[in-house]
Amino acid sequence: MSANVFDLPDVSVRFRKNVVSARSLKYSLESWVRGQPLATHAGLSDVSLSVASGERLGVIGRNGAGKSTLLRVLARVIVPQRGLVTVDPTRRIVPLLELGVGFQPDLSGAENCLLAGTLLGLPPARIDARLEHIVGFAQIDGFIHEPVKNDSSGMYARLAFALAFDVEPDVLLVDEVFGVGDEFFMEKCLARVDALVAAGVTSVFVSHNLDFLQAQCSRLVWLDHGRLVMDGEPALVARAYRDRRGVFEN
Amino acid sequence: MRFTWMYAKSQLRLKRRYTVLGVLWNLLEPLLYLGALSVVFSYVNRMRVSDYAVFLFSALVPWRYFEKVVSGCTDSIVQGDWLLKKLPASPFSFPLARWIVASAEFGFSFAAVALILVLVKEHWTVHVIVLPLSALPWAITALGVGLCCATLFTFFRDVRPVVQVALMFAFFTAPILFNPDLFPSGSAQARLLAWHPLTYLAALFQKPVYAGQWPGLMDWTVSSAAAVVALALGITSVRWTRPRLYFYL
Repeated sequence: MSANVFDLPDVSVRFRKNVVSARSLKYSLESWVRGQPLATHAGLSDVSLSVASGERLGVIGRNGAGKSTLLRVLARVIVPQRGLVTVDPTRRIVPLLELGVGFQPDLSGAENCLLAGTLLGLPPARIDARLEHIVGFAQIDGFIHEPVKNDSSGMYARLAFALAFDVEPDVLLVDEVFGVGDEFFMEKCLARVDALVAAGVTSVFVSHNLDFLQAQCSRLVWLDHGRLVMDGEPALVARAYRDRRGVFEN
Repeated sequence: MRFTWMYAKSQLRLKRRYTVLGVLWNLLEPLLYLGALSVVFSYVNRMRVSDYAVFLFSALVPWRYFEKVVSGCTDSIVQGDWLLKKLPASPFSFPLARWIVASAEFGFSFAAVALILVLVKEHWTVHVIVLPLSALPWAITALGVGLCCATLFTFFRDVRPVVQVALMFAFFTAPILFNPDLFPSGSAQARLLAWHPLTYLAALFQKPVYAGQWPGLMDWTVSSAAAVVALALGITSVRWTRPRLYFYL
């Protein structure tokens, strides 16, 4: 078996343009009758990438460069139209593409932990056993049995973060979720990330925070207009990215 | 599957969470609905209230379940975008969760109907023991049709009004509100009813509850075939379109 956790050979993802009108039967029939191909734009264009076990990969790029699309492809949320993504099936992949995925506003914090925890692969019995620890990490002791819709945005994010980081992943995919809660809570989260990284967890971080990526990652890739522009040592890639202000032109 | 089950349970819990009567509504709602209908339609059909109530409820309760599953499933995948765009979740989870919720409510409706029928029906026969089995073809057909509608709606939002009209058409042409014995055998209406799959599905409930008979072989055959075909089509449609669903959410 390959030592790589992910192998992406020439992967392309295209999104349809004018999606609002394109969702009608009328639009589709008209396009079909006129023989017009539906307009698309590139999310990823022929991106080739491998991520080795234990590697800490950072992804940078301007807004709309394809960073989140790449992460969704790795998380198997998006199936690319071209290129077959190979993922090591033995690894537990935990995607943190957004905090609080699976949370229902009317459910209490504890109920949400059970529901969202199952999405992260945690059995209910384990969540029950770990609930006190999760609540302690999130520092929301008095509010865990209240509907999360009544929580402040900081409390909501802290609970979501505490739950997500209680999972023991083999592979962690993080999309710009750092920046929640207060400074002290952030310190706790970063310490948890450090511990995971030190334990050899393969990680892919998408962020606009170059300093964070340089500190955390062993490798950096730069995306622009869905293309992979540069792939290499973090300091080198970060310098090139800053020098060109994130814009790459052939 | 674990998420689907827990999500369905949470939806059931949330449905009555902030109401004063809570879970009692699960019984009260079908009781009030069926009570009002039986009074109104007994005058239209010129049957005794009690007699017509038994006839009406026997097929109306499974029909309401079918309708609820199909309508609920139709936008379920699209409504599940909060998860399907963030985690590698199965698109089956959302139609299945709606199906589980509707099935639980069907159970409550059934209990409500049993309560009414105990009061109004004079003669009971042993044939009612077949009812749990009669519910199976309804449940499977509803899930299959629901999955098909959920897939179609994801790609074409125009599907919802079409589904509503189709459900209405199916309801008014099936022998649910009216007794099929009204039409003489050989008449155009009787011949049309013979081709209506809901005639056979309805018979699975009407015969044991109203007529005191076992459902016939034809009833079981057509109903089971409808269930298998609908489920196969539903599963295939979701599986076939799964790689493309993300782009239409």
